[in-house]
Amino acid sequence: MAPVLEVDHLRVHYLTRFGVKIQAVDDVSFRLEEGQILGIAGESGCGKTTLVSGCMGLYIPPLHHTSGDVRIAGRSIIGLGPEQNRREVLGRRISIIPQGALNSLNPTRKIKDLAADMILSHDESADKKQIHERLRQRFERIGMDAEQVLGAYPVELPAGMKQRAVIGISTLLDPKVVIADEPTSALDVSTQKAVIRLLFDLMDEGIVSSMIFITHELPLLRHVSSSIAVMYAGEFVEVGTTEEVIYHPRHPYTKALMSSTLSAEPGQRIRKPVAIEGAPPNLAKPMVGCRFAERCPTVRPACHTERQHLRLVEGRQVRCDYVE
Amino acid sequence: MLRNHPTLRHMVGRMGWYLLTFLVAVTINFFLPRLGDANPVDTMMAKVSGSLDSQSAKDKEEAYLKEFGLVEVDSDGTLQRDAAGKPIRTSLASQFGRYLAKSLRGDLGTSILQHPKRVSEIIKTALPWTLALQLPTIVLGWIAGNLLGALAAYRRGVFDRVFYPLALLASAVPAFCVGILLVYLFGIRLEWFPAVGGYDDGMVPSWSWGFLESASYYYVLPFLSIFLIVVGGQAIGMRSMCIYELGTDYVKYAKLLGIRESKILLYMFRNAMLPQLTGLALALGTMVGGALITEMIFSYPGLGMAVLTAIQGNDYPLITGCTLLVTTCVLVANFSVDVLIGFLDPRIRAAHAGGAA
Amino acid sequence: MKLLLGLFKSPSFLVGIGLFSATVLLALGAPLFFHVDPYTRVGLPFLPPSSAHWLGTDHMGVDMFSMLVTGLRSSLEVGLVAGTVATLAGTLIGVYGGFKGGLVDDVLTAATNLFLVIPSLIVLILLSSSLEHGRSLFLIALIIGCTTWTWSARAVRAQSASLRGRDHVNLARINGYGTFGIVVLHILPYLLSYIFMVFILQTATGILAEASISMLGLGPYDSVSLGKILNEAIRNEALTDGAWWAFAPAMFLVTVIAFALFVINTSMEGVFNPRLRK
Repeated sequence: MAPVLEVDHLRVHYLTRFGVKIQAVDDVSFRLEEGQILGIAGESGCGKTTLVSGCMGLYIPPLHHTSGDVRIAGRSIIGLGPEQNRREVLGRRISIIPQGALNSLNPTRKIKDLAADMILSHDESADKKQIHERLRQRFERIGMDAEQVLGAYPVELPAGMKQRAVIGISTLLDPKVVIADEPTSALDVSTQKAVIRLLFDLMDEGIVSSMIFITHELPLLRHVSSSIAVMYAGEFVEVGTTEEVIYHPRHPYTKALMSSTLSAEPGQRIRKPVAIEGAPPNLAKPMVGCRFAERCPTVRPACHTERQHLRLVEGRQVRCDYVE
Repeated sequence: MLRNHPTLRHMVGRMGWYLLTFLVAVTINFFLPRLGDANPVDTMMAKVSGSLDSQSAKDKEEAYLKEFGLVEVDSDGTLQRDAAGKPIRTSLASQFGRYLAKSLRGDLGTSILQHPKRVSEIIKTALPWTLALQLPTIVLGWIAGNLLGALAAYRRGVFDRVFYPLALLASAVPAFCVGILLVYLFGIRLEWFPAVGGYDDGMVPSWSWGFLESASYYYVLPFLSIFLIVVGGQAIGMRSMCIYELGTDYVKYAKLLGIRESKILLYMFRNAMLPQLTGLALALGTMVGGALITEMIFSYPGLGMAVLTAIQGNDYPLITGCTLLVTTCVLVANFSVDVLIGFLDPRIRAAHAGGAA
Repeated sequence: MKLLLGLFKSPSFLVGIGLFSATVLLALGAPLFFHVDPYTRVGLPFLPPSSAHWLGTDHMGVDMFSMLVTGLRSSLEVGLVAGTVATLAGTLIGVYGGFKGGLVDDVLTAATNLFLVIPSLIVLILLSSSLEHGRSLFLIALIIGCTTWTWSARAVRAQSASLRGRDHVNLARINGYGTFGIVVLHILPYLLSYIFMVFILQTATGILAEASISMLGLGPYDSVSLGKILNEAIRNEALTDGAWWAFAPAMFLVTVIAFALFVINTSMEGVFNPRLRK
């Protein structure tokens, strides 16, 4: 069975007004199997959002595709024109639950109208009456009071319901892959759990096949994903199973990330969070050596000059020559 | 019933507010002109006193006093007099009361300049011209300005770079300047359009084809004067609003969902339009003022000209009659826009219904 | 201070301030260097521009250049006075209402909206026409200030209301400062740059309002102003006679001043309000 999503040496860049090229995603590869949840963790600015746009084939200038391929269920989505990408890929084969979902709903449009817009944009011939019935069934199926939510304007719904409405709309067309971009950041703990449970339900019900869960809170992924990729400065620096990455991080950045977040999870020693010093590198400048060298607590002189590559260490991939 | 219909509640509330504003306007309209030393009777007397002897002058004065409601009269019309035989003047308060009652009935008094013509008559002839000029111009200008602004925001590029400074200029130039420029350039120098008036001399206003043709010819320049300014102002505002809307999260999400471009443009337009409508409500008073001045420049036979001639001749009843009418029109227009906004913006409805949890 | 320097680097600000200064220089400086006399007849009516009279003569045969310079000065004075009055009134009402909140705020806002809706030109006409014999420049400026304050009241109130919840204000309240003290010490300093911008706009409004009202014939009785020049030009059919020098320069000046002030205001907004910086 072909993996649901294959990303092959994907490189994506921004072109600024002055012609400067910023390689926001630099050679990222991974596979997503059916039924799998992949967690992608990293600070803001590491390229997560750009990676998402790249995986969806949505290249709006100044964002451009440099090289590499993305295949969903075996079919490439690179090279399709914007209109084809819009009709067939976006929302249909791969969909996103955006960051800041609470502001993502058009304030002057009822939920059902927005959802209908989405359906009609992909299939003009859809029957209007059928659409409303379809919406009602879907929302009920994912545990929402369809009457209340569908007929409401975003301003009339509480935050948790808005989030779930967004999830409902994003998965309306049964996309194979759904990307959840920081779906829990603006919510309180109980709502967070409800949202995560909803996401699991979607997979259990077969509405979506696989999921990518993006967050900057690494410990959160313990309950969510089966594997994790840690991203830094446009590259993956560690890729492995959740157990391995969270309990036995190898890459210095992963270790720093783990110790910089408070976690009440059992099994995590309650320790003082340590902020990671420094800032991510400026990707507009040419990269020499390890990108984490400036901030790495175990940095060696060679790190500044030798480019680091992913290598296999105890069953997972780590981008550092000096870990064992 | 009101409990279940937040929109209706909103409308009723606004209506009450506008009625209050109207009352204040009428009060201002009454008291302001009386602040100074202006006196319609004196003005009238100045016109006729030269040719009369003292007794006829006194009679005439009393007749005028009676006509302008400045003295107390009995039910049969004779002046009430005090011990010395002089007419008793009405207090300011009862004058106001009478004024209010009469205004609501539509009786706005008699013109001084065009005595004995009644003010309401003069206004009745002038009002249609003003409405015909201002209403379509402001409405069309608003629509055109917003469409162009949206286009500039969406397309950017060459169109925007050319359009933006032009619109900026059009919005900064004072209303009368455009009028004077157009009159001079196209009316006098190039003689493409008539510079003065609403229709050819010698023609009598009617619904005949000939008259309408002539009137439309005279319509062009005044129309353009007001139209260009409204378009400029609206375009600038709409352009910024649309640029803002295009950068919002909900537009980004809609794009990510694969929603059609045309639909997204509709979202942008609809959401940017709401603050534009609010802006319109606030700017209506100024727009109407500017349009009145334009009428004066073109000697267009509307309320603007009526006010101008009234000012020049110290015709107080006519001045106040016109101002009251203009204010009423502006209030009605404002109310309509308010109602429209209430319908279109769910956020206002939600605010009235108690908002989200 | 840094902000002020940033202001001087902004091209639009420089353009605006340059234009405005030029007009002020013209108004104040011309009488010092040239013979400016707007009261004596020097030739036939509506003489075209010549080397003797740079802008020709008006409908009475008075030197147009003198009229223009004198009128410019009057208009600028009126604009500044009206702007000051309007800004003062608007700021007082706006700051008080915005800071107090509650019923006081509701009442003041309702009153402001009331006067906002009633066209200010109308109120101006009513006020001016009642003062048949006393219309001095100063009085007109006063009247204009009293009818155009609504906009600044609204704008300042919004700013003041947003400051109301700030920590230092609450601290001052806890420490027992009275309303007046808090407003003067803790709110006004933050609003100063905003109030200044409001003042610029109100001055522009004042100049335009004076031009409008004078054009209608309700201008100052015994002085010359730009609007009055336009009024007399139209009344004496300068337009139809093609005597462009009788109205075009005045019109041009009014537009330039208004435009310059608007540009200054926009550039200040760009510098003082970082959110607008693209």
